[in-house]
Amino acid sequence: MIAFWILALLMIASAVFTVTARRPVHSVVGLLVNFIALAATYLTLQAEFLAVMQIVVYSGAILILFVFVIALLSSGVRPFDVGPDRMPRILVPAVVFAVLTLAGITVTALHTPVTVLQTTPTNGTTGDAGAFGSVANFGVALFADNLLAFEVTAFILMVAVIGVVLIAGDEGPGGVVRRRPKRVIKREPILKARPPSPELVEGSG
Amino acid sequence: MLLYLVWLLPLVGGVGLWAFGPQLKSWAGPIGSALVGVSFIATLFLWRDATAARALDVPLGSWLPGWSFGLLLDRLSLIWTLIITGVGFLIHVYSIGYMDRDRAFARFFAYMNFFVFAMLTLVLSDNVIGLLVGWGLVGLASYFLIGFWFYKPTAVAAARKAFVMNVVGDIGIMFAIFLIVAKLGGIGYGLIFANVGSAFTPHELFLVCLGLFIGCAAKSAQIPLHSWLPDAMEGPTPVSALIHAATMVTAGVYLVARFAPLWSASPDAQELVGAIGALTAIAGAILGCAQWDIKRILAYSTMSQIGYMIMGVGIGAYDAGVFHFLTHAFFKAQLFLGAGIIIHALADEQDVRRMGGLRKQMPFAFAAMLVGVLAISGVPGLSGFFSKDAVVYGALQTGHPWLYAVAVVTAGITAYYMFRLLFVTFFGAYRGAVDPSDLGIRHPELAGTAASPGHHPEEEEPHPHAPGWLMSAPVAILIVPTIAIGWLDFGSNSAWKQFFAGFFPRAADAAGAAPISEAVSTLLVLLAVAIGFAVAYARYGAPAALRGAIARLRTETIRMPGVLVNAYYFDAAFEALLVRPARALGGWFDRTVDPHVIDAGVREAAISAQWLGHLFRSFQTGLVRAYALTLAFGVACIVAYYALAFGGGR
Amino acid sequence: MNVAPENYVALSAVLFFIGVVGVIARRNPLIMLMSIELLFNAANLALVTYARAWVNNAGHIFAFLVITVAAAEAAIGLAIVAVTFRKEPFVDVDEVSALRG
Repeated sequence: MIAFWILALLMIASAVFTVTARRPVHSVVGLLVNFIALAATYLTLQAEFLAVMQIVVYSGAILILFVFVIALLSSGVRPFDVGPDRMPRILVPAVVFAVLTLAGITVTALHTPVTVLQTTPTNGTTGDAGAFGSVANFGVALFADNLLAFEVTAFILMVAVIGVVLIAGDEGPGGVVRRRPKRVIKREPILKARPPSPELVEGSG
Repeated sequence: MLLYLVWLLPLVGGVGLWAFGPQLKSWAGPIGSALVGVSFIATLFLWRDATAARALDVPLGSWLPGWSFGLLLDRLSLIWTLIITGVGFLIHVYSIGYMDRDRAFARFFAYMNFFVFAMLTLVLSDNVIGLLVGWGLVGLASYFLIGFWFYKPTAVAAARKAFVMNVVGDIGIMFAIFLIVAKLGGIGYGLIFANVGSAFTPHELFLVCLGLFIGCAAKSAQIPLHSWLPDAMEGPTPVSALIHAATMVTAGVYLVARFAPLWSASPDAQELVGAIGALTAIAGAILGCAQWDIKRILAYSTMSQIGYMIMGVGIGAYDAGVFHFLTHAFFKAQLFLGAGIIIHALADEQDVRRMGGLRKQMPFAFAAMLVGVLAISGVPGLSGFFSKDAVVYGALQTGHPWLYAVAVVTAGITAYYMFRLLFVTFFGAYRGAVDPSDLGIRHPELAGTAASPGHHPEEEEPHPHAPGWLMSAPVAILIVPTIAIGWLDFGSNSAWKQFFAGFFPRAADAAGAAPISEAVSTLLVLLAVAIGFAVAYARYGAPAALRGAIARLRTETIRMPGVLVNAYYFDAAFEALLVRPARALGGWFDRTVDPHVIDAGVREAAISAQWLGHLFRSFQTGLVRAYALTLAFGVACIVAYYALAFGGGR
Repeated sequence: MNVAPENYVALSAVLFFIGVVGVIARRNPLIMLMSIELLFNAANLALVTYARAWVNNAGHIFAFLVITVAAAEAAIGLAIVAVTFRKEPFVDVDEVSALRG
């Protein structure tokens, strides 16, 4: 009970900090706190495997990726210049929509109470092997019942990898599909090939 | 199995010669002829099967229940198949000689074989769908062959005209077939004939017969759909012989004879067909008197003779009509092939006014034409005499005295214009060297005498010469049946009557016994023929007439009544009633509907799309946050829906 | 477990709210991407909550798939940011308006 409220406060605070921080590095730190608190919340919900995944994937991989990109972008060039604000009053509709969403979700959730939550799962308590939310329980569900979804996800990941390689590859012109030149007018000598530029991003996927 | 061979060999020839013509070169002609010849011999072997109690019916396959396709060789289709392949074979052989110098030698034989195949499809089919397919293919083959010399604009126009008119007929047949299928649900002849009485009301039966007869009239050149036939003489002469004399144009006769149970059950339709046939017979004969082009004379005589046949089968004298088809196939092929010899020898001269005196130079052609003329005129002993007599007397037997009178008069006119043709062409002095204007020919190049470019080179010797054996042999062979085939129907219990005994429904003897006996009727016909011959002799054949031939031809050309020269203004009427309004309508659509409705519609659609594009473009700001805002709006909407639907309700 | 699921869902909604505002209001693409991660996590929280409430681990599976897709999304988004930044030294989504119609 107390754990939930502490975690909830921590998550809200870190989320607000993430969104409002001026420098992206600070945001990353806020996000890290948020993720860890979320993982703890998962534990209170008996989703132990997901809690571990949350730490490993989000904190371990995605956030590190963010840090890498920030480090790359800030090395050697001006730090994040910001141009003129094109949409200065966008905050107003944004907050309106967001509040509407918040209110809607809350109203819906409060009016459809779920009472089952009060009972403990029948197949053991948290931490037991095979109990609800454990690795074994999760694995059976993932590889037996939802194998197709799993495979599709794998496919999506592969597509993402290919896409990243294409976009951020050697000469990727910023998201536009590369076009080969129609005719090769002259072939440059191999030895005089241009050295890779310093800001080149390699293997960012 | 042999029937498949009969049916498909010409198709093999048609496709093969078309595909490999350039490689085959001069072999195309003999190959094409041999295929048709084999087909003929195979048909002869099938004689016994066809004349058995149960006619030969070979299934091909079936589609829907009751829609089985097959080939039927019974007594009627046997006669037609024999004529198509037999006469067709002779004409093929003749063509080898006639077309020897044409550039498109192989193409010609490919078309000819294709035509034979199409005609066999029409005749051998045992259901109405196959009949319609054959009907259409025959029209197509006819289009190919009439327009064979496609570099002649007149030939192209004639081919188009023939095709369009035939399509009019096809529509009639389709209409009849739709009605039959709608009523019976099946397409086989046997099913149709078994249910004639029960499935149709008299009114429906009349409509079916009317639809079929529209097809007949178009294919067999009956009034008012006849005017393509004289124009079709633009094709090579063997084509005229094969298609427009011996086989294709008689498809209408076949159709009526094949659907004899329908006609016999619908007396109104019989009256209509008989009247149209008689009208066509006399109208064609009168027009035949006014023509100068040798092939057009024969074309009008064809039209007239088919009028006889249609009248015969229309009034219920089926075996007489079919017999006239049989004899006509021989003597008309004979006449056309004889004319072809003359045309070939005179370097594509077709105007009889510029012939004359050919009897001495071309004795063989003279003999051939003489036999043909005697036969078509109905001189006793030759084939035309018997068949025409049967048809004419049939009109009287079935109680049609008016049609009988018309038929007798037509016989006299036929004798007149055929002997006129003979006298002008073969007697007197050769007029090829006479100035055309002295003969009253105002525009020699327009008078049907234009030589086809590329067919015969300029250095062709202009004086008459003898035909090669390839051309003379078929004509010589044809002389035999032209003279003798008529004896099949000699007497009241002839071989022909036995052949078709019980095959056709009995003619309605409504009028009872004929008022005069057959012998008296024959004498009447002979009298008419004699008068016709006498007039022709006095005007063109007598020594006095021959001396002043040039001046006489000149005055006759100049004074020819316009109504005859223009073939009763049928073409002009079609032009005024159909072609011009259609053109006007097309022009109106072109000027008004197309720019102001269709183009405008397309333009307005484009403008609308552009306007919509402008509208949506304003959303595409390129600002990612605006997109995100839009997304948030969407999320808010969805959540609001759930909140209202499930949140507030509890 | 004695906290009503409504509380978890409300927490999820609040996190979602913060994420939405962050995506729309911030102009730094990196922070926008992080806000999107917040959105994913808020949704995951709701999924896991209901999975627990109905003792049905399909919600877990779904959350797992969301994590996977989020990883892919982050990789691609960051790649785009990196490439865009390489072309012009702004890190401002308002300056990247090649999609304007």
